[in-house]
Amino acid sequence: MTRARSFDLVWPYVAAAALGYLLGSLAVPAFAALAGESSSTPLARIGLALREDPHAPLVAWPALEADLRTVRSSLVSPEREVFELLLAVRGLDSGGKSDWNHAEQVCRSLAWPRCDRAALEQLKEQSRP
Amino acid sequence: MTRTLAKRALGPLLVLAVFFLIGYARASSERLEFAQAIAALSETDRATLGSVPRRGIVNTIWALGSEDAIKKMLRSELDRLPEAEGAARARAFVRFGIIDSNPDGQAAVFFQACVSDPSLCDRARLIAAAERETRARLVEPGRHLPLYLTSGHPQVP
Repeated sequence: MTRARSFDLVWPYVAAAALGYLLGSLAVPAFAALAGESSSTPLARIGLALREDPHAPLVAWPALEADLRTVRSSLVSPEREVFELLLAVRGLDSGGKSDWNHAEQVCRSLAWPRCDRAALEQLKEQSRP
Repeated sequence: MTRTLAKRALGPLLVLAVFFLIGYARASSERLEFAQAIAALSETDRATLGSVPRRGIVNTIWALGSEDAIKKMLRSELDRLPEAEGAARARAFVRFGIIDSNPDGQAAVFFQACVSDPSLCDRARLIAAAERETRARLVEPGRHLPLYLTSGHPQVP
């Protein structure tokens, strides 16, 4: 069997697996919206994650990606950048691990007086609203 | 021809269905953790959860923001917050008073804080609230109590 022929046989399965997984993941929020899960909105889930202890990341943080996109899209500059800074110090879009470099970059883009690591760490400590 | 096509499509369709279920199960279990955590909260907590991101943004600006950024944020907060949210409005007024460099301006703003939240008409409580805010501020201006609260200026009525 030539390499081209085996590729022809395999690619529909690979594509079907990828498509199936993607559709399955997307179906959850779609069904939840149809079922009217009013108390568990993207804003509420992000709110819950922000209220959690910064040193105790939730296992389900990867599930926040879609919610983060929704909340981000509802904000306008400069609040969007400030939210980005908050996410970076709390590690909400990086599995609970603070992204200090990104936080510093965002902070500097806001032209704020202090963007050093010590200040950002302090911000993280007191960032539970 | 049709039968051959159906035979070739059956395998990928089965794979699609299996991976749809895997994707659905994985996404559901991740969201379930949030749904359970939210359901475990009291009704009051659940109601306020949606405002937490906004409060996080405001507190971040208060912690590290420039004077201009703070003034802009506080104005927008006071426009946004209804009169019914007295404590939140009072907090914004207290923050305004702390960064205001003019003692007369400070007096007017702290008076507004007292109107929004009558518990802050008590000077000791007003000072305690202002001290909490100065501790949360990580850069100047705003890391010290304003003159109006440290000197013997007239009390907030």
